Amino acid sequence: MNRKSIFAILFLLVSSSYALPQDPPPPESSLQTRYSIAVIDDATFYSDLSVPSPTVLNQVLLEPSLSVRYRNRWTFSSSLIGIATTYDDTSTQLNVKETYAGLSAGDFDFMAGRKIVRWGTGYAFTAAGVLDPPRDPTNPSDRLNVNEGRDMLKADWVRGHHALTFAWSTAALAPANSEQHDTTAFRYNVLVRGFDTSLIAGNDRGQDTFGGITFTRVLGQAWELHGEAMWREQAAVLVGAKYTTSSGVTFIGEFYAPPNTPYYRDPSVSPPAGRQNYAFFYAGKNRLRELPGWKEWDVSASVVTNLNDHSAVPVVDISRWFGKHFSSYMHMEIPIGGSTSDYGSAPYATATSVGVRFQL
Amino acid sequence: MSNRPQLVSNLLILFLVAISCVGTLRAEESKVVDAETLLKRSDSFRNGWPSYVLKVKITNYESDKSDEEKLYTVSQKGTDRTYVEFMSPRDKGRHLLMLGDDMWIYLPDTSRPIRITPLERLSGDASNGDVARTNYAVDYSPVYLRTEKQGSEQCFVLELKARRKGATYQRILYWLRVEDARPVRAEFFLTSGKHIKTATFDDYAPSAGKMLLRRLTLYDEIRHNSHSVLEYSGATPRDLPDKLFYQGRADRF
Repeated sequence: MNRKSIFAILFLLVSSSYALPQDPPPPESSLQTRYSIAVIDDATFYSDLSVPSPTVLNQVLLEPSLSVRYRNRWTFSSSLIGIATTYDDTSTQLNVKETYAGLSAGDFDFMAGRKIVRWGTGYAFTAAGVLDPPRDPTNPSDRLNVNEGRDMLKADWVRGHHALTFAWSTAALAPANSEQHDTTAFRYNVLVRGFDTSLIAGNDRGQDTFGGITFTRVLGQAWELHGEAMWREQAAVLVGAKYTTSSGVTFIGEFYAPPNTPYYRDPSVSPPAGRQNYAFFYAGKNRLRELPGWKEWDVSASVVTNLNDHSAVPVVDISRWFGKHFSSYMHMEIPIGGSTSDYGSAPYATATSVGVRFQL
Repeated sequence: MSNRPQLVSNLLILFLVAISCVGTLRAEESKVVDAETLLKRSDSFRNGWPSYVLKVKITNYESDKSDEEKLYTVSQKGTDRTYVEFMSPRDKGRHLLMLGDDMWIYLPDTSRPIRITPLERLSGDASNGDVARTNYAVDYSPVYLRTEKQGSEQCFVLELKARRKGATYQRILYWLRVEDARPVRAEFFLTSGKHIKTATFDDYAPSAGKMLLRRLTLYDEIRHNSHSVLEYSGATPRDLPDKLFYQGRADRF
């Protein structure tokens, strides 16, 4: 070996030992898991009750969820809720929020089991959410995560910006007091020129055939518009908008006009009352200020009103994070209106919920 | 005395010649510096492959003290499709999808995609747009301004203007290393002209055969005692299915 070769080998050895450290590419695991556990202790205090009931409702909720994905093809997911309620007496129950198995094959996704599906684009109301859990405009984000899915078989075909969905949902396992029926529904969803649009059609067995449209669109830097229109015996319409200020405050407004039919009627509204019109207004800010001690605070206020009987419910929500896993919150509802009105018929003057949440 | 007008006119001619020479030199320099190509090259330090995944850790600092840490897994396909999974305990179950200028967020408590506006992208020290949108050549139109030293590096300075209103920022001043177009510094401006953030591209390292950005610091220009450090790791090419980037898909893992 001559001197030049020795120098070349030495140079290679030295340069390789001084090479920058490399991130080895992580191998794609064939089995992936996600899990979360939430524990919530929630106490609701009712003031000026007009019925003989306890003034405090205490609930402890345990919400585990687990998802497993195998080879990016098979999925199993389960989300349960255990609730211990102390009111007149103490009771416990276990609810299945979601439990389903899925298969992804080419452009198709298949799913069987109980799943929460939301086709409606409304925030507080929905006209076209034919498989959605019921929306509660005083608690649109389902703060205790107690909504349950529908039992269904679902197939999706997705290509580019287009998607077709077929869903068949059975009411066989629904709670006895539920208004659910077996539902067959189709949805075509497409994104065109910023319009995220869906056409929905289907049938409730032994009940109505329905068809409708939903859309969302962002305009400029700050505006989002959304809407739903559905024909089910009569027309139901929802239009809404969201506006974000440069300081991060979000405003949402919605107008909802459902027909007074058994499917759309609120239980507190009488059948002869005719079509009801509702409005919803929300103002809120996550991370109250981008300053230490303020980032942990989320604050919002909203009001939902029945424009026909002028009843309303102002709602205030305040929450604060403590570290990565703990948060506390306060949720207050103040019904306003006559004792026979939609929102004024609530049997209390105020309902204030306070709670702590642990999340892993 | 009679030579005075002659002297003045000679000086004037000399001045005009000097100005035209400087102008010609600057024009020549602009011709040599192809801003579009430079910007595309600079993007390759943040987007190594046409389809890839990486992990991002964001640590927010207040008065040089760490007060918040967030983890994300970012999947990107092409230049305008990004899917971000939020991995921190506080944000678990959240997903963000960005298709061109359109953005949706999936919240676990609503189980549906929520359309979000460009201004909502800007919340937090490091905005959603900072994590999800890193192909500047697609979003911004570049113009070469000058060449200057930034620290110890000789840099081209480009002015990037948003091609569309939906871009995360309306204007960016971008310093790229002359040697290889590696990003060195960026200043971000809103439509109002307000300078809101400054970024320094602090560290690069080879990852799966590509030289990629490893650490970026974002300084808040409104609250000067606040900054965020974005650390990138585990970048690897991956064949991502188109279905992952479909906005109507609620079956998020």
